[in-house]
Amino acid sequence: MPVLRGFLTLLLFLVMGESLRFVFGWPVSGGVIGMLLLTGWLMLSGGAGEALAGASQQLISILILLIMPGVVGVFFLGGRFDGQWTAVVVALVTGTFLSVLTTLLLLRGLVSKRSSENSHD
Amino acid sequence: MTELSLQLSKTQSHLLGTPALAILLTLIAYFVAVAIFRKLRQPVWCPPVLLAGLLLAAALSLCSISYPQYQAGAAWLTFLLAPATVALGVPLHQQIHHIRALWKPILVTVPLAATMAVIYALGIAWALGASGEVLASLAPKSVTAPIAIGINQQIGGSVSLMMGGLLVTGVVASLFVDWLVSWLGISDDRLIGLTLGINGHAIGTVRAFEISAQAGAFSSLGMGLTGIFTALVLPFALALLDIL
Repeated sequence: MPVLRGFLTLLLFLVMGESLRFVFGWPVSGGVIGMLLLTGWLMLSGGAGEALAGASQQLISILILLIMPGVVGVFFLGGRFDGQWTAVVVALVTGTFLSVLTTLLLLRGLVSKRSSENSHD
Repeated sequence: MTELSLQLSKTQSHLLGTPALAILLTLIAYFVAVAIFRKLRQPVWCPPVLLAGLLLAAALSLCSISYPQYQAGAAWLTFLLAPATVALGVPLHQQIHHIRALWKPILVTVPLAATMAVIYALGIAWALGASGEVLASLAPKSVTAPIAIGINQQIGGSVSLMMGGLLVTGVVASLFVDWLVSWLGISDDRLIGLTLGINGHAIGTVRAFEISAQAGAFSSLGMGLTGIFTALVLPFALALLDIL
């Protein structure tokens, strides 16, 4: 059961991340701390085995399924924020447009042409 | 016979007591959404998560299942989001030499872009007269859901409105990245991935993995760093604003 073995590794790093978060009271989720711990561990140990790579790929491919239960809540908000929807939608759409533009311009300015030519192995 | 029909009428509420029905409906909505998405030739403006959310909401109201009831059953799926977040460390490691080469631009861009994302959205919402509760709900809009929920617990606001903000932000960020990248003439998958992760969290990262594994890894990194930075800074920044 290589997928289960990989899942075991992921859970181990999740529990480590969650414990660190709890002990130090960090405001970051245990999953993200676990992700950084796993990256660090893979750098030290030289890479992911087949089991871990397989389990990770399978979980990442169903990411949408896992965020669906949270996302669907927006359709059950009801009339609680009546009168503010224009502000909400304009702020989200325009704000996101501006932040995407800002990010792209910053990155384009900071990453020199020469290094972007090396990006394809 | 009457006994049987009595039992039959109780079946739905019995099933709602187990996670089976909620997970079944979620899976059906997911597969139907993915099938429609492929039929429509994978449009960026209508990602599977939006289709799936609409289908699932329709299914829940057809079966007259309330959102808290559904949420309790779907907790099994929601839990898997945490190991899936850990799993993003694997593509991250596979791209580590590319990330090392770009560490300076990444470290400059993430704090600036994450800060500006909050300022743009809150500034516009505030100017249009949004209430304090709405502002607090929108503030973590570019942050991945598990971290955003943690931020929400600290700064307040409605969790459902916040999740709605995440959905809209993720969808339109993927769309705008697509447009602006061709308009600005950017073709580097590393920069496209970073931008998707910084602005569009998990939904942007799903989009980045559709582009390439490299874009996906950079998006995971952008998403993780933006989440960490926002979680650390936002509660303090808002507290400071309150004092002023």
